[in-house]
Amino acid sequence: MSEAASKLAPSGRLRVAIYAMDPLRRAALSRVVAEAGHIVVGAQDIADVVLADGDCLPGETRPVVTLGGADYDLPGVLSRHADASQIDAAIRAVSAGLIVRVPDMMDAGFGAMRETHGHALLTPRELEVLATLAEGMTNKAIARRLNISLHTVKFHIESLFRKLGARTRTEAVAKAAERRRHETMTL
Amino acid sequence: MTGQADLLAQFSNALATRAEAARNAIVAIRVGHGRHITGMVWRSEIVVASEQSLPRKDDFEVVTADGPVLTARIAGRDPGTNIAILRLAGSVAPPPIAAGEAHTGAVALAIGADGMGGASARLGLVNLSGAEWHSRRGGLIDRRIVLDLRLARREEGGPVFDAAGACLGMSTFGPRGQVIAIPTATIERIVPLLLKDGRIARGWLGVALQAVAVPDALRETTDQSSGLMVMSVVEDGPAAQAGIVAGDIILSIDGKSTHRFWNIARQFGADSIGRKPDLRLIRSGRVITVQTTIAERPAA
Repeated sequence: MSEAASKLAPSGRLRVAIYAMDPLRRAALSRVVAEAGHIVVGAQDIADVVLADGDCLPGETRPVVTLGGADYDLPGVLSRHADASQIDAAIRAVSAGLIVRVPDMMDAGFGAMRETHGHALLTPRELEVLATLAEGMTNKAIARRLNISLHTVKFHIESLFRKLGARTRTEAVAKAAERRRHETMTL
Repeated sequence: MTGQADLLAQFSNALATRAEAARNAIVAIRVGHGRHITGMVWRSEIVVASEQSLPRKDDFEVVTADGPVLTARIAGRDPGTNIAILRLAGSVAPPPIAAGEAHTGAVALAIGADGMGGASARLGLVNLSGAEWHSRRGGLIDRRIVLDLRLARREEGGPVFDAAGACLGMSTFGPRGQVIAIPTATIERIVPLLLKDGRIARGWLGVALQAVAVPDALRETTDQSSGLMVMSVVEDGPAAQAGIVAGDIILSIDGKSTHRFWNIARQFGADSIGRKPDLRLIRSGRVITVQTTIAERPAA
């Protein structure tokens, strides 16, 4: 296994320097890093990765994972609300020389209002069924919840798959969420 | 052969001359942590910048041509068109700005600030020049101008010139890192309004909407195949006060069908505030009409 690959391995322990102005945030991030099996080192110590809450100090030469920082050119860019598993994954990836981004950020930028004609819109009932799919409910449970027959549930799910171009329930939920993210309009 | 080499040298020299001259057309706006973005000198004391990339604070330092640093204060921002303006605490010599029209395939020269009073340059083509469009934040942009060039974050907000030296607009990032230009015509339209009020007022109901298909059973009654379903309602907003709830499907606003977003968006300009439109909507399988009062959209 290469050195880079060994850093990606779940068992690899990395030296992580944490940069955070807020002592509470620093303590919380230290805990997250330690619980993921890494070693928290001093801010100026030799480290494999710097985890910065927001922006890091200018001139930082070590690989940085920022949480909510403004510099999109850093190797690791997560949101301020990244969870522990995302932070751990980003630390490993960045130390192995990879670049980490969140899909939402790829969508950032000044974009157009999307018109929704051109694809088949979902009906209110289909949206209800979709919500139950997102909860992981079985067809029987859905039928009970919405007070419709099992046959009708299957009919709606087939229609959802067709309209969303999905093959599985998970895919349907994901694709609908994507649509909603792009096409929600605030007035 | 010699002739061709000369043409290339001429082309190159012309670009270098343009880039050199463009130093007066830009400033570097310091955004902290040693970083900056670019601003476009619009008038001797007014700088235009990309709203989405300008930190939410009032005072900035800007580096003007050849290095002098001035302070600048926000004079207005409009997320709808991605235009912010800063008023310099001093004046600079503004270059004459001639509005140019973008043509697909034409050469585009994008200028950025290097942060020390100089310019950086990017050369590309107008990848696409299209019709007017509405931004996700509700602003009307006069033309769609997509550029085929790379841009660094620090260069965003600078002017984009055509081969004749006319200004096509201000460079900015669209979705997925795409580089686009906010047309000069849009800047010309928005800047005077921002100078006057500091913002562009927009109408507001306080709802998030998503297009849905009208259920088959109601197609005939409503004579419409789609509407906008209310996904959430802002507490105490105008819609909430009118009793609109999540799940309602809005079919029309003052008789104008909600079939298209932009058709609705253009009814919510500054002049819409205070108007009391009738909303035709589906609630619990019935078509009803509710009157609301359009308020001003609160600052983001």
